[in-house]
Amino acid sequence: MEDLKIGVFICNCGTNIAKVVDCDAIVDSVERLPYVTVARTYKYMCSDPGQDMIQADIEEHGLDRVVVAACSPRMHEPTFRKTLQKAGLNPYFLEMANIREQCSWVHDDPVAATEKAAALTAAAVLRVAHHEALERRSVDMCPNTLIMGGGIAGMSAALDLADAGNRVYLAERSDHLGGNVARADLTAPYLDSARDMLTERVTRVVEHPNIDVLLESQVRKVDGFVGNFQTTIRGKADDGAPTDSVYDVGSIIVCTGYKEFDASRITHYGYGKLPNVVTSFELEKMLRAGRVTTKEGRVPQYVAIIHCVGSRNLEFHAYCSRVCCMTALKYAHEVKSAVPGAYVSDIYIDMHAFGKGMEDFYRRSSEIKTLFLMYEKNDYPVIRKADATDDCDMLIEVNETLSGETIEMPADLVVLMVGMEAREDSEEVAHLVNISRDKDGWFIESHPKLDPVATTTDGVYIAGACQAPKDIPDSVAQARAAAARILARTARGKIEIDAVFAEVDEEKCSGCRMCNELCPYVAIEFDPEKRRSHVISALCKACGACVAACPSGAITARHFTDKQIFSEIEGVLA
Amino acid sequence: MAIRANPKLITELEIYGAQDVSKCYHCGNCSATCPFSKEPYIFPRRSMRSLQMGLEAKLESDLEPWLCYYCGECSVECPRDAEPGETMMSLRRWLTARYDFTGISRLFYLSWKAELLAVIIVALIAGAGFLLYGFSQGNITQYNGPDAFLPASSIHIFDWTLAAVLLALLLTNCARMWWFTVGRDTKVHVPLSAYVRKIYLLPTHFFTQMRYARCEQKRPWAIHLVLMLSYVTMLILIMFFLAPMWSGPAVKWSVHVFGLAATAGLLVTTIIFLRKRLKKSEVQYQHSHETDWMFLVLLIVVAATGLVQFTLHRLGLGTAANINYVIHMMAVVPMLLLEVPFSKWSHMAYRPLAMYFADLKAEEMVSKAREAVGAPQAA
Amino acid sequence: MTFEPKIVGFLCNWCSYTGADLAGTSRIHYAPNVRIIRVMCSARIDPTFVLKALHDGADGVLICGCHPGDCHYSEGNYKMMRRYPLLKSLLADYGIEDERVRLEWVSASEGQRFADIVNDMTERVRALGPSPVKAALEADLAER
Repeated sequence: MEDLKIGVFICNCGTNIAKVVDCDAIVDSVERLPYVTVARTYKYMCSDPGQDMIQADIEEHGLDRVVVAACSPRMHEPTFRKTLQKAGLNPYFLEMANIREQCSWVHDDPVAATEKAAALTAAAVLRVAHHEALERRSVDMCPNTLIMGGGIAGMSAALDLADAGNRVYLAERSDHLGGNVARADLTAPYLDSARDMLTERVTRVVEHPNIDVLLESQVRKVDGFVGNFQTTIRGKADDGAPTDSVYDVGSIIVCTGYKEFDASRITHYGYGKLPNVVTSFELEKMLRAGRVTTKEGRVPQYVAIIHCVGSRNLEFHAYCSRVCCMTALKYAHEVKSAVPGAYVSDIYIDMHAFGKGMEDFYRRSSEIKTLFLMYEKNDYPVIRKADATDDCDMLIEVNETLSGETIEMPADLVVLMVGMEAREDSEEVAHLVNISRDKDGWFIESHPKLDPVATTTDGVYIAGACQAPKDIPDSVAQARAAAARILARTARGKIEIDAVFAEVDEEKCSGCRMCNELCPYVAIEFDPEKRRSHVISALCKACGACVAACPSGAITARHFTDKQIFSEIEGVLA
Repeated sequence: MAIRANPKLITELEIYGAQDVSKCYHCGNCSATCPFSKEPYIFPRRSMRSLQMGLEAKLESDLEPWLCYYCGECSVECPRDAEPGETMMSLRRWLTARYDFTGISRLFYLSWKAELLAVIIVALIAGAGFLLYGFSQGNITQYNGPDAFLPASSIHIFDWTLAAVLLALLLTNCARMWWFTVGRDTKVHVPLSAYVRKIYLLPTHFFTQMRYARCEQKRPWAIHLVLMLSYVTMLILIMFFLAPMWSGPAVKWSVHVFGLAATAGLLVTTIIFLRKRLKKSEVQYQHSHETDWMFLVLLIVVAATGLVQFTLHRLGLGTAANINYVIHMMAVVPMLLLEVPFSKWSHMAYRPLAMYFADLKAEEMVSKAREAVGAPQAA
Repeated sequence: MTFEPKIVGFLCNWCSYTGADLAGTSRIHYAPNVRIIRVMCSARIDPTFVLKALHDGADGVLICGCHPGDCHYSEGNYKMMRRYPLLKSLLADYGIEDERVRLEWVSASEGQRFADIVNDMTERVRALGPSPVKAALEADLAER
């Protein structure tokens, strides 16, 4: 190997790394490694002065490889690759050592942490020596977008994309647009009509020349990669028979929403047994019809609303479904409006009034004389039928924590605020577009704080309740954020895709074809004349399955070659 | 054992003055700021809570509303404007109505018209009665002496009869109060010896209002004390010194000086309170129930006619004095017969009793708690 | 001086490496004995990596991938699942104890689980003592 000049830059990350890891000690240890020309530390390597420092060193010392020991490469690899590029160096001559997320943040023994950080940095130094210059490929970006789900999120994203002049295919499984918002009467906290909100959206979507609304349609297959997806959608032909069509899109937004928790799973609320125990959605139906009555058709004198049904419950879902508290208050207002003499009680654990106008809404709800009863998590109210002589239909026993008493609250109608759950088809959807789900079934975003709409699959975005329980403002915000991300790409016309893919060395290939079957993307084709296999680089996603399997060792994974990984192993064990 | 909640109760309490209690979200600032709120009597939040949920039996047995003197600090601190001070006041009104076995109190609180009508009827009956009596046996021009229109001895008998009636009514209601708050409490059992030992608390609280003095603001206690002592002075003079009071037209300074001082005290304090209520100058005067006005108005009429009485008598204007006296009694009789047992005035009995009972119960609860943890009993 | 095992971890980028990062952002502490090498998919892991690590002085090797069914590349982890028993039986033939090489599935949201696995494996390998490979190589070198 020719004489390399490796620069090693160790970040303090303020005190995040420096508090536990002795960065100067790492400088000392790496200086002894082969080819290391420069080794220094800095407070915040990702900052402008930090990057300028790297650039200056590259130019001054003629560095041809750079190691940055800092945060996770999933955080800043793109940042530092750009730095190299600006300094005239191929961006793939960078290697990062993760000494923050996987070192200083998880270990408390400074000696052990420093030793580990030094080993990880050494591994990066040995690896980077074997890096090769790689060029990113530029491919056309198809400006069309497929949006899965025609609810409030799907429609909002569709409108932004279509207004910008791009074609949108809006695929909706059911026979109407509007999703779960269409089942609501009014919305919290300002009591605006859901119908008015939706009508505006639906009308604009249906009339928009750039949006193809595909009702009763399901996405069956997604092939291709970012900028170049081929999506197969099964819809209904005019004669009612199922028919498949293929649409070329550059991006996909998943807006499949949520389903509500099945209240009959909680036996002590008597849902399904006591006729006047209903769910929030069943109440919405009554409210939309303008009449709130018991099953027997009587006007209820006492209405009770119970929060956290299926949510914040270790037995079912530990998470909070976010929207139910304010929706419950909305019901207090609507019931008082529909039945002016009714006594409304709201039985809750905590009042989550987190957003704009919500704390005020809570105050207004108490001004209309809603009685708030607080129970402790895991100490659930129990509903039983009242005696015939009582003036109510049911009695709810609550261990009320604001008073410390156990009370029985009369109720003629009980509304259960059922939580949000991931839809049953979420697993199917996740596999279709190659995204992951968390333990509760919600789709996982790229970064919980900094990248809430992208996913690990480039070109696929998520928006709305399918990512996590959220209300209309947040769903719309996410949807429009996803649209904005896509527009940023379509505006450029072309996108760069990673230079990392697998390559077959035809000299070494024996034509055994073992790799052909292994590739999940069918990216390896066999040339029967040459009797050699060949990777279609555009389709290859660089998983490395074929690389490890090839008995001749004929396939190399760019940027993850055997030599590079072997050097890493040597480095960590030095 | 679960207590049945009754959400309808707050609708009833609205008429007693508690319109804002639903706004309370139990932050507890009120109980924290209250200078009197201390174990085992924490208020006003707990009372607000019982009221919101309509726990009638519990509220009926609570002493907390009487331990409150409406300094108004809680209402000032309340972030939701739930008016805890006024809620406690309305609970006092409600309890007054509850303690009363006749149902008249409840009627007066729910309908100010009923109260006014009752006052007017009683006043008219009293007026007619005195006039009839006077004409039947005396000369309207004679104030005192053998031919007096309304001789002191007769008035004395009337006063004592009236006192007996009102005492009977009041004491019955006090007994009911005892039953609700102490007697039927299965958890706290106060031994008879404690009642005897602590009996001194009753006159102490009655005459000094010492608990009121512990409020942050001393002025209200001072004004109220003057009002109360003036009233008590007047009562003693009327009940035990009627004849010397009636004497004249020469001034009998040994008696009349007290009378004048008491009248001055009554007039000045009631005028102060009326002004405060009209101007809504402080927190506790922001809300006034009809019973609050009725109380002050009757008192001021009684005091004013009393002063006029004294003046007319000194001037020797017999007829005028007699007529004024009838008017005076037309205010006194409804005040004593209706206000004292059935309306706001009853607090003069309920408050000292509440202090007494609260002390007895607290002592009993503390000694039980000490027993439970094996700590030595208080000396 | 307690024996501090050196364990090499091969983590797939999409699930387990991200899960390990999550343990970091959540500040979940665990033993410092595992040094992580990133690969794109557990399918990339050639059995020679494991052998190389043991040869170079590792006392243990931890392989992490996505839960079956959740692989970012659809089936990569199945390939690792198929290679693994073969690898383990080879290692057994070499006299390398079973608990030194371990395959675990860690998802991107399982920071705590990753920490628990590292802690558990560190203790197990510690109990086994230094890898027999080191001693064998030294003996071999001495002989020559």
